[in-house]
Amino acid sequence: MTLRFTSLVNQVPRTRVKTTFCASITIFHPSACHFTMATRLRFENSCEIGVFTKLTNAYCLVANEGSESFYSVFESELADVIPVVKTSIGGTRIIGRLCIGNKKGLLLPHTTTDQELQHLKNSLPDAVVVQRINERLSALGNCMACNDHVALTHTDLDKETEEMIADVLGVEVFRQTIAGNVLVGSYCAFSNRGGLVHPHTSVEDLDELSTLLQVPLVAGTVNRGSEVIAGGLTVNDWTAFCGSDTTATELSVIENVFKLREAQSNAIVDEARKSLVATYV
Amino acid sequence: MSQGFRAPSSFALSAVSAFWHRFSDMVQYNFKKITKVPTGKDFVDIVLSRTQRQTPTVVHKGYAINRIRQFYMRKVKFTQTNFHEKLSTIIEEFPRLDDIHPFYGDLLHVLYNKDHYKLALGQINTARNLIGKIAKDYVKLLKYGDSLYRCKALKVAALGRMCTVTKRIGPSLAYLDQIRQHMARLPSIDPNTRTILICGYPNVGKSSFINKITRADVDVQPYAFTTKSLFVGHTDYKYLRYQVIDTPGILDRPFEDRNIIEMCSITALAHLRAAVLFFLDISGSCGYTIAQQSALFHSIKSLFMNKPLIIVCNKTDLQSLEGISEDDKKLVEEMKSEAMKTLIGQGGEPREGAEVLLTMSTLTEEGVIAVKNAACERLLDQRVEIKMKSKKINDCLNRFHVAVPKPRDQKERPPCIPQAVLEAKAKEAEKEKKRLERDLEEENGGAGVYSASLKKHYLLANDEWKEDNMPEILDGHNVYDFVDPDILQRLEELEKEEGLLQEQEDDEVDMDVEDLTPQQQKELAEIRKKKSLLIREHRIKKSTAESRPTVPRKFDKDKKFTSERMGRQLSSLGLDPSKAMERVRSKSRGRKRERSTDHGGDDMNVDDDGSNKKMRVRLLSRSGSRSRSRPPTDVVVPGEGFKDSAQKVKAFKLGKKSVQKRNKDARKGEGDRVIPTLKPKHLFSGKRSNGKTTRR
Repeated sequence: MTLRFTSLVNQVPRTRVKTTFCASITIFHPSACHFTMATRLRFENSCEIGVFTKLTNAYCLVANEGSESFYSVFESELADVIPVVKTSIGGTRIIGRLCIGNKKGLLLPHTTTDQELQHLKNSLPDAVVVQRINERLSALGNCMACNDHVALTHTDLDKETEEMIADVLGVEVFRQTIAGNVLVGSYCAFSNRGGLVHPHTSVEDLDELSTLLQVPLVAGTVNRGSEVIAGGLTVNDWTAFCGSDTTATELSVIENVFKLREAQSNAIVDEARKSLVATYV
Repeated sequence: MSQGFRAPSSFALSAVSAFWHRFSDMVQYNFKKITKVPTGKDFVDIVLSRTQRQTPTVVHKGYAINRIRQFYMRKVKFTQTNFHEKLSTIIEEFPRLDDIHPFYGDLLHVLYNKDHYKLALGQINTARNLIGKIAKDYVKLLKYGDSLYRCKALKVAALGRMCTVTKRIGPSLAYLDQIRQHMARLPSIDPNTRTILICGYPNVGKSSFINKITRADVDVQPYAFTTKSLFVGHTDYKYLRYQVIDTPGILDRPFEDRNIIEMCSITALAHLRAAVLFFLDISGSCGYTIAQQSALFHSIKSLFMNKPLIIVCNKTDLQSLEGISEDDKKLVEEMKSEAMKTLIGQGGEPREGAEVLLTMSTLTEEGVIAVKNAACERLLDQRVEIKMKSKKINDCLNRFHVAVPKPRDQKERPPCIPQAVLEAKAKEAEKEKKRLERDLEEENGGAGVYSASLKKHYLLANDEWKEDNMPEILDGHNVYDFVDPDILQRLEELEKEEGLLQEQEDDEVDMDVEDLTPQQQKELAEIRKKKSLLIREHRIKKSTAESRPTVPRKFDKDKKFTSERMGRQLSSLGLDPSKAMERVRSKSRGRKRERSTDHGGDDMNVDDDGSNKKMRVRLLSRSGSRSRSRPPTDVVVPGEGFKDSAQKVKAFKLGKKSVQKRNKDARKGEGDRVIPTLKPKHLFSGKRSNGKTTRR
């Protein structure tokens, strides 16, 4: 394994990063800090792991036909707690971009086949409502983002779809843009504890969005400067997975804002501020 | 060597800061990509062989003179371009000392001597121009060449002169190649990034320290000048990467006397905006007293200006800082106060926390990390302070802002972390390793062989159902269209409804039971039951049929309406079905062809009189200039074979009725049974070129 960061002497606390490369690269798991921290991994040499997975508080979907080691990363982190399901949607692997869900439900695009729908219904607990919806904008994952209480959606979404979201997912629905982008699902990622949005979101927008979502928000990047947040990051209330290109600084922001590892979101303004200034400016 | 080097005072920071801004966006310096410089002889060989290979070689004296001239001109020009190209790459790829970062500029000057370097490149440039001029002259001469021989002689002369020029710059080329090799081995120092610079007398433990905090793996030996050049390592602090530079030891002597090795250190100190760690061997085991080291400190302290400086007292395992003599203590205090000045020079108040004098021992690793952290922190503080003043900060302000939600309603929105997660966190230690899919794959033949079942984690009411196969298509229907999660509930509802109906029926039967015999009552109940069943069935069918067309009974897939069924039905009603069944069968089988009587053409027209026949023949023989006029349906025309108009109308009606069914099936006629061409020839014969898969 190639360590990107030159390691330190033994007494130095290691950078709190768990790096996991999949497919062809060996995997190492420091046994410490098993839960509640961000894991870095890649899917077939792609760091856009949010495209190939969907993580919620009640289940985790993983693209099938990927390597078993990719699946096993999620399995080892989550399988004791929530089902980790291998699936395709409409025959494609970009499931994270096509579906949307939270602990109460899962919405699938109209491209989903009957078999996939049945497979998901069989694999997910009965408490989760699985529903296929007829929405013209079929990449639901790109068009909306949600946690267990609130959802942001594309401005052009159907009225029926909006109602469906509210009913199935049990959330309040807001039509919003993020830094001028209508694809809210791509440019933000949030859980019930915090959220990360497009780096160009202005401070006023941040405050407004934060009040809508009722979670602390930070503008940031993943995967070494990628602004497609949800592409490189998938997160729930207690754990997060991000692309292996994610830098230590980005990871620290993620862990702080999502309150993983008992971190607090205002650590970004307190402790990590200097590192952030040194990195961005 | 050092005479061209500027005195330390002239390393004023004005120049540095000017360059700082210009180069802050520049890419990292990499001298590894310079192409190899061939020796003079190789150079000639390369160019001439290329001329030989890439220009025409056959010429004949019988050719028109213009063609011969052109042939040789081309050779001359081609050779010149090749020389020009190759020499230009050399000139372009070697860095210009005035254009690169002053640190590299001065480092290269120290190592290779700026004058010599510039001279060599200048010679290459001159050679390039000379060759250009030669080519120009000879091409001009070639225009006047009047025979093949003369032209060839001119070409030979031109190429010869070019080669001579190249050979003359042979020593410069050799020198440049040596420099290239040396430069490729220079450490890739980024002059603009966060840097920690370690300096001090030889043998005070600089290299040991860099080995402790980075993976640089610098050679450490117990004699002076083990490190002869700059070495780079990298270390992490607060999510940021720091470049740590180990410099060769410096002796305290006049600037002009310093050797190349020492000058490397001085260059780095002068030009890199780094945190400086001045190493002090307080045990004196390096062979220099504290006084000597202090003298060095004071002689190069101008280089520490505006840089975070930390004095590091090393080798505390041999001698503690408290144990040194009073005089030495005073010297150390003096240095400390100097270092404090750099702290003030930064514009910041001399804080209590900021340490400028630290002790450590690289042998016992005591205090090593404290030194590293202090240096990184001081450097970070300084850089952040500068950055906070820059304009760029305004673009990034949102990145340091944590938007905290204002409450907008009374609703509680708690996070949802399963209990299992919290428990797992608590007993994380004793948890044994779970067998993962990855392990299963490894055990069962590895990737590409093992194929995990998607069904094994299904959450079903009964675990045995997991691996059940479910048909996708059944009797031409998509099974999933009929899957209804609430089927049991609906069935229950239906049954309830049926029960109600039953009761109703019973009631109805009760009502008019008086005037019927028990036999009749039973039959009536039967009939009503059947009727209600039929109605229900019809309703269900209607509701599920949705938008499907009502299909004629003939296409009924259920095959409900058989003659046997009819027989059963009739006999249950107490009728003899045999005749009806026979009739049905004979109809469905189709009629056998009967023996036909011979119909002559004349017989057909037996009723017609001659004139009429003649007229009809004429009518029929006329080509289709107009369609035959037909009489109205109720008018009998002789020859149509109808007795009277009533019969004709009846026949018409029957005829229409007979095609009604066919029309409903959307058929053209009796013979309309379509067998599509399964393999249309035009799509399967002949060769296919691009894009001709579907249409040819």
